[in-house]
Amino acid sequence: MLKLSLKSVAANKVRLTLTALAIVLGVMFVAGSYVFTDSLKSAFDVLFEQEGATVDLVVRAETDFQFATELGTVPDTLLAEVEAIDGVQTAVPIISGFAQLVDQEGNPIGGVGPPTLAFSWDENFDDVSALTLRSGRGPEGPGEIGIDAFTADAKGFVVGDQIDVITPLGVETFEIVGILGFGDADNLLGATLAVFELPTAQRILDLEGKYNQISIMTADGADIPTVQAEIAAFLDEGLEVVLGEVEIEEGREQVDQGVGGFNTALLVFAMIAVFVGGFIIQNTYRVIVSQRTKELAMLRAVGATGAQVTRMVFFEALIVGIIASAIGVGAGILLALGLKSLFSAIGFGFPSGPLTVLPRTIIIGMVVGVGITLASAILPARKAARVAPLAAMRDTESTYFKSLRKRLYIGLGVLVIGAAMLLIGLFTEIDQALLLVGLGAGVVFLAVAILAPLMARRFGQIVGAPLPRMLGITGRLARDNAVRKPRRMAATASALMIGVALVAVIATMAASLKASITEAVGSEVSADYQIETGGFADPTMSGISVQLADDLRALDEVSVVSVVRYGAYRDPVGQTESFLAAFDPEVDQTVRLELEAGDFGRMGPGTVMLHSDVEGFGIGDPYPIEFPNGVITDLEVVAIFGASLFQIDVVISMEMYEENFDNRFAAMMLVNVAAGSDPVAVRPALEAVVGEYPNAEMSDKEEYVDKVGAQIDALLNVVTALLAMAILIALLGITNTMALSIIERRREIGLLRAVGMTRRQVKRMIRWEAVLIGIFGAVLGLVVGVVLGAAVVVAIGEGIKLTLPWGQLLFYLVAAALGGVLASLLPARRGAKTDILEAISFE
Amino acid sequence: MTDTRVAARVVGGIKIYGEGDTEVRALDDIDIAFEAGKFTAIMGPSGSGKSTLMHCAAGLDTLSGGAAYIGETLLSGLSEKEMTLLRRQKVGFVFQSFNLIPTLVASENITLPIDIAGGYVDQEWFDMVTGTMGLTDRLTHKPSELSGGQQQRVAAARALVARPEIVFADEPTGNLDSKSSSEVLGFLRRAADEFGQTIVMVTHDPKSASISDKVVFLADGRCVEELEGPTVDSILERMKSLGG
Repeated sequence: MLKLSLKSVAANKVRLTLTALAIVLGVMFVAGSYVFTDSLKSAFDVLFEQEGATVDLVVRAETDFQFATELGTVPDTLLAEVEAIDGVQTAVPIISGFAQLVDQEGNPIGGVGPPTLAFSWDENFDDVSALTLRSGRGPEGPGEIGIDAFTADAKGFVVGDQIDVITPLGVETFEIVGILGFGDADNLLGATLAVFELPTAQRILDLEGKYNQISIMTADGADIPTVQAEIAAFLDEGLEVVLGEVEIEEGREQVDQGVGGFNTALLVFAMIAVFVGGFIIQNTYRVIVSQRTKELAMLRAVGATGAQVTRMVFFEALIVGIIASAIGVGAGILLALGLKSLFSAIGFGFPSGPLTVLPRTIIIGMVVGVGITLASAILPARKAARVAPLAAMRDTESTYFKSLRKRLYIGLGVLVIGAAMLLIGLFTEIDQALLLVGLGAGVVFLAVAILAPLMARRFGQIVGAPLPRMLGITGRLARDNAVRKPRRMAATASALMIGVALVAVIATMAASLKASITEAVGSEVSADYQIETGGFADPTMSGISVQLADDLRALDEVSVVSVVRYGAYRDPVGQTESFLAAFDPEVDQTVRLELEAGDFGRMGPGTVMLHSDVEGFGIGDPYPIEFPNGVITDLEVVAIFGASLFQIDVVISMEMYEENFDNRFAAMMLVNVAAGSDPVAVRPALEAVVGEYPNAEMSDKEEYVDKVGAQIDALLNVVTALLAMAILIALLGITNTMALSIIERRREIGLLRAVGMTRRQVKRMIRWEAVLIGIFGAVLGLVVGVVLGAAVVVAIGEGIKLTLPWGQLLFYLVAAALGGVLASLLPARRGAKTDILEAISFE
Repeated sequence: MTDTRVAARVVGGIKIYGEGDTEVRALDDIDIAFEAGKFTAIMGPSGSGKSTLMHCAAGLDTLSGGAAYIGETLLSGLSEKEMTLLRRQKVGFVFQSFNLIPTLVASENITLPIDIAGGYVDQEWFDMVTGTMGLTDRLTHKPSELSGGQQQRVAAARALVARPEIVFADEPTGNLDSKSSSEVLGFLRRAADEFGQTIVMVTHDPKSASISDKVVFLADGRCVEELEGPTVDSILERMKSLGG
């Protein structure tokens, strides 16, 4: 039987190629994700090893926040005490924060995602960090700076050039004295780098009298635990001294977590692609089995048992699965290689390291690919076994009409299960809720796929109704052919449904978010202008220099400038981390806070304002909170607000923020022009001041809404791009189905050609059939996607108002129809070339 | 239509399959003309080239040498598309099996060539043809709901309804029992008699051939014999003398 399977694979090469391609693409995505992220990890490992070899001990603040980018500080007086201890050879004080470089044209560099790092420089830095001097020297004076090699190359900076730097306090000009790399990488995944001498770093980051940490190298022969204990003895509460390797390990863990999260995200999309591939494979096998009914029946007639036939089809799938998965893994490695160079090319360089192909990657790739192939082949293989020996004589149609009712009940049953999983995941608080939502969505897709054949015929007839009128008999045949095998049409369309549905979910969420923000800005912002940075940057690690607020306040045309900052906090009871905002006292003049109770005027040290969504707290209640610097305290609730603009539950005063957070950048400024001034008329005066700060962008309400909208769209586009693979596979599925159908209808097409159908008409007929399938898939996807998206939006709550992106949904529909055209190009050409004589000659 | 007009002809027709040692001359310098308004049967043993002749004469296949005409149109000078349009306008086909599109009902199958061409169906003519074929009460049935004989009659009606210059029938009764066969043949005969339709039928069955006006015998890719006003007996006699 194995021999037969092998021969059968060889004989069905063309039919199986497209199937195999679906597997290859899916596995490629899976393997590529692993190889890419593993390589990333090992590159970081190399960096950490460079850094960790010499640091024995680290003195630092006790902080273990996941969200916070702040390190906490130690007093600078500690340095002398540490140095005085026996066994300490060198103690290197380190400052680390954020500052953004500015190019020669006055545009900010970076700040659109990766951090814009700022460090203090020390002559021992080559030893205690992964930073390496490429040229020049380390900064030694107040006006000197070292920058990363990528920025230097990309912007044409050389040692001796002047460069502007946006610091939390303002914009300053420095002279470049050195160019640095991260190990052998020019930059670290897109992060820019600015290093200063220690006092300058302290000054511009507003950390005078403080260090972020002290790295210690002990003398030869010193007993490290003893030195550690001695240092620990005089440390204040909230500070700690840990082994260098502990710090490295923590860093490694953080990277693993970050890279792992990235890997998971990629894998989610890869698995979606594989899932879609499964539909294609199953459909192909079913068609192949039914096309080979005669052959299989003949085998049965000469004595093969049903089990043997099943095994044969199964073996066939195994062979295809193994070959395609192996190619997929190989292609995945190439994909990772390509991604790596792509990342470097667009400025997200990572330290060179070997491309890491772990055995795990190969195993998972093979298991996923072979597994999905076999799983998809099970049903068709069992169907093959049921082929009666006499079926060879008859032209058997599928038995689907008999099991219509059964299909309906099973489909509805599965739908209920999927919906239940979704609802539980969305609306109850359980662990792994996201996973449950994902699986629930998968089950819903399956259910719709099961139910789709019940709708396919009616759908094709209704949607295809204009075809006969538009194209006469060609259109009529296209429509009839599409709905002829409802199960095939449905399975093909279902594959497309998944991708379209997910895109629709994201689009619905994005539209709802946009609408809510538009509304919130419209109703809650009373300021004339808002100022933010341009990019996606994390507002806790970059932002606008606070000096801008003072500069604006100095203008006669301005009456109020309020400042908002963000930071991480932790609920000391539940240990969950989240973000808070810090408001200065003027915020309520620029934003309608929609106070429901209390008094914003009482905001100050020791008090907090909560959003009305936070349950269980009233005015005067103590609200427990932990800051990244380790301070745990109870704050008195002095106000309850309802504004949804900031999407934030907890607001503290600016004074308390500056006490507990190191970040001195402002995330947002809101500006009111002076009474009697026309906001439009005074805008140039304001812009002149804002223009001094290269990363600050001023916008009125309308521009602000557009800006936020554009950011949401950018995110939408990224997700859509990641879903493109699933959609591409689904389109391949349409190609495959059309190709198989054309093989099946060879004689019919031959007859049509004989009685006068031109090649062009044949192509048109096939094209419109594919378009109908595409539209069916898109409509299923859009309906499922909008329902899922609506459920997600409702579940998120937080004042997000459900809004449907009609224009976009229509666009997806048209795109799916065009996708159908694209998918049908090859089959149509092949169909048009059908040899009439061969097709009509009696077999 | 005058009797001397020729609806289709092949002059010095040569058709070669394969090359070198495997070369087969399916048609070997054949000359044949199909008179307008006549019902011609082509007979001959397997491999005599009768199907090839029909395919080349009907514009389904191209000759390796010589010339084929439908009316006065030289087929070898036509592009693929012109050939298709010519078939659509001037030629009707009845094949041995699989003549009908399964998704279309009988009446739609009959008007298929006209619909493909985007033309108008002459309803009177349609009624006359379907009436003659005895299909009036079968027009809304799908092919799967029709008997084999009915299916071939639908195919014959399709071949006639666009008023082609010539109808080619390739073993139209090859898959039918004798009763259905004689039904279909009877209708083809009536089409020739009542509508003056030119019909060329390839068959290996003497009884089928006997209803034609003239039988042409082929052997080894050549025309070897012609028989006007054939009967079953005279056909059998000729076949014997030809060693078939």
